[in-house]
Amino acid sequence: MPAAIVAERLTKVYRVKVRDPGLGGAVRALVRPRYREVRAVEEISFQVERGEIVAFLGPNGAGKTTTLKMLTGLLYPTGGRAQVTGFTPWEGGSEFKQRIALVLGNKQQLLWDLPAEETFQLNQAIYAIAPADYRARRDELVELLELSEVVDKPVRQLSLGERMKCELAAALLHQPEILFLDEPTLGLDVTAQEAVRGFLCAYRARHGATILLTSHYMADVTALASRVLIINRGRLLYDGALQALVARMAHTKRLELVLGDGVTRERLAAFGEVREFRFPNAVLEVPRDQATAASARLLASIPVVDLSIQDPAIEDVIRRAFEEGAGE
Amino acid sequence: MKVWLRRYAALIRSAWLVDLQYRAAIAIWMLWNVTEPAIALGIWWSIAGGGEVQGFARGDFARYFFGVALVNQLTLAWDAWYIDRWIRDGEMNFRLARPIGPVHEAVADNIAYKARTASVVLVVWILIALFWPAVRIPFAPGRWGLFALATLLAAAIRFLNGYATGLLAFWTTRATALMELQFGVSLFLSGRLAPLALLPPAVASVAGVLWFPYVLSFPVEVLTGAVVTPDQYLRGFTGQAVWLAVWWAAYLIVWRRGIRHYGAVGG
Amino acid sequence: MNVGRVLRALLRMNVVEELQYRANFVASLLGTVFWIAMALLTLALFFRHTVQLGGWDYWEVVVLLGVFNALTGVIEAVLRPGIGELADEVRSGKLDLVLTRPVDAQLYVSFRRLDLWRLADVAFGLMLAGYALVRVGRLPSLLDLLAFVVTMGSAVAVVYAIWVALMSLAFWLVAVENLSVLFDAVYEAARYPVSAYPGALRFVFVYLVPVAWTTTIPASALTGRLGVATALGAAGVGALALGLTRLLWRAALRRYTSAGG
Repeated sequence: MPAAIVAERLTKVYRVKVRDPGLGGAVRALVRPRYREVRAVEEISFQVERGEIVAFLGPNGAGKTTTLKMLTGLLYPTGGRAQVTGFTPWEGGSEFKQRIALVLGNKQQLLWDLPAEETFQLNQAIYAIAPADYRARRDELVELLELSEVVDKPVRQLSLGERMKCELAAALLHQPEILFLDEPTLGLDVTAQEAVRGFLCAYRARHGATILLTSHYMADVTALASRVLIINRGRLLYDGALQALVARMAHTKRLELVLGDGVTRERLAAFGEVREFRFPNAVLEVPRDQATAASARLLASIPVVDLSIQDPAIEDVIRRAFEEGAGE
Repeated sequence: MKVWLRRYAALIRSAWLVDLQYRAAIAIWMLWNVTEPAIALGIWWSIAGGGEVQGFARGDFARYFFGVALVNQLTLAWDAWYIDRWIRDGEMNFRLARPIGPVHEAVADNIAYKARTASVVLVVWILIALFWPAVRIPFAPGRWGLFALATLLAAAIRFLNGYATGLLAFWTTRATALMELQFGVSLFLSGRLAPLALLPPAVASVAGVLWFPYVLSFPVEVLTGAVVTPDQYLRGFTGQAVWLAVWWAAYLIVWRRGIRHYGAVGG
Repeated sequence: MNVGRVLRALLRMNVVEELQYRANFVASLLGTVFWIAMALLTLALFFRHTVQLGGWDYWEVVVLLGVFNALTGVIEAVLRPGIGELADEVRSGKLDLVLTRPVDAQLYVSFRRLDLWRLADVAFGLMLAGYALVRVGRLPSLLDLLAFVVTMGSAVAVVYAIWVALMSLAFWLVAVENLSVLFDAVYEAARYPVSAYPGALRFVFVYLVPVAWTTTIPASALTGRLGVATALGAAGVGALALGLTRLLWRAALRRYTSAGG
């Protein structure tokens, strides 16, 4: 079975005009323009199999959205190639666009002044969905996303979470093979985030769609993705299961403490790096191989009410991956 | 083919429903569109006095400018401003990810809006004509049919011209300025300010070489009966056909180049 | 922190901003010049077929055009960026932020944002009027100029009142997003002298929405057509207009706060 998405050394380089400030600079830019290169995406290669859920993780400006745009045909790469459901995205035309769906977290596609139901019907016509298929899929999506109360109200009256759920429903009516999501949980409250994640898992389980999402939120990744691709400064730093990354990058352990009376931050600092200190709670970071020894010393020397040893927070692991490069 | 009919039916229906939500704002836009010919009529009315201006008496001016109000409402081209905004704030992206191009949404939007607003103008005209004989148009179904055709072609030309100009926003931030420039020039060359016969001959001949007369003046003159001989009809419709072809080609070229440019430099 | 470096950075940033505004300024100046040219050509077209428009000669009408442009400059520089935003703020609820400030809300809303570059339009308009006066052949006396200043002030007050009235509609018709278009629609009539319009239209533009007076009367002052009675009347109307805006504003605010904002 051919892979759903294949990216081979995808590269995107922008030429940006350099403009010196001041009148002289403006004139110079007009007469003899100088350019500098912005290497937004640098030789990214990966493959996604059908039915996988994969997350692109990275800071702002890392190149996640640029890569996404190349995979959906909105941008032409400067180098490399890509195949998505058997098409070259930027050459795929309307046949390709029938097989994919793109949902943007910050740009709404629903008709603002009308109920979501109207956008559904519009999509039915645009994607040429047969009436029987449309009815069945619409009903299933409304049920899975719990939208029955909401589809008849004008979209502008809905909460952000309800709107995103409607966006997802509208995007999936034509049963695309691949769903591209750009920051889908952006700005949503916790309940809505969980609802969206739960839905995506359930949908994938039922229909085997391939899902590729970009995100800032660790929770998106831990709840959804079997695989995470970490991108920073246009380069792919890591491609694999999240647990493996944690294991590789985690040089340290967290000691989460509830302290007894009279323990100051300075006293605690003798045992390791104090990450958090809000009496009586504190978090200490110690090298992985010294964790048990440090714990023993702590318990012997200072009043400790409770102690537990944890893996470092995933955010810290990822951040370290960005800064250091995950290496291969 | 049936797929496309269903698509357009759905697009037009959505546009119609959205317009329904904006009735009040649309009424205000219509008022704005109508004041221009109203003021022009007022001035020519007072200039004509009891006599004529080059063959135009007060009644002729009245019929002409009512015609202008109707045809203008049917041929307005606003899409350049939307395209410009979409390209700049990223709303072009999801439109480009759909299996149909954004131009179809625009055509459907035009149809829904113009059907709604032009019928209002028409009804108001009929009502006024009940009390004001000067603005009555003689009953001539053949001529009205030709008027409908001329207006359809005019609307198509103006739409494609506006859309192609708007697509220049792929390259420049001044696309809407270009639209304003055309808008200003069309005041004279399209006959919005005065029937073309009243322009200095040099200006009128410049107009004749461009598309401006064919998007407003020609359909209006068909309606008011200023176009009479078969030769005049032929020249008018031929001009419309030629400019329709020109602007359609221009749209296709700008669209293809624009998409390539957009894909290269991003949005 | 190197103070020198910070200062230099700030200076550079301001120069860049200035230039950006200057580019927009040049663009808007070109726009003004273009539309004045179109207006002059329009007048030329009318005057190809007549010697007088409502009893006014060509150059007298150009004086009026200059006054029209000067007033438009004031509208674009002060009114539209200030009170013109009111409708939007009512709809979005941002008005609440304004109302919590310890200044008179009406004053604040009217003058908080000034597009000073547009004052160039005012200069342009006055220059055009001045040139046209030379061509008319009759330069205004000191009294005429005084009358002009007074009636221009009154005109600005009337235009301001019209804007307040229009924007107040936003408190009742919250959903309408393009109220300022109504003003543009009707204000076009102010390009020509009141006497140029036939009876029915004259009624609309003089009594219903008194835009025609805002240009005809000050222009009449410059060309010596203005009677003392009319001049005093205009001053009175201006004062009345300002008073009216206060009443309207109060009523609108009452409506806003009682409706829950």
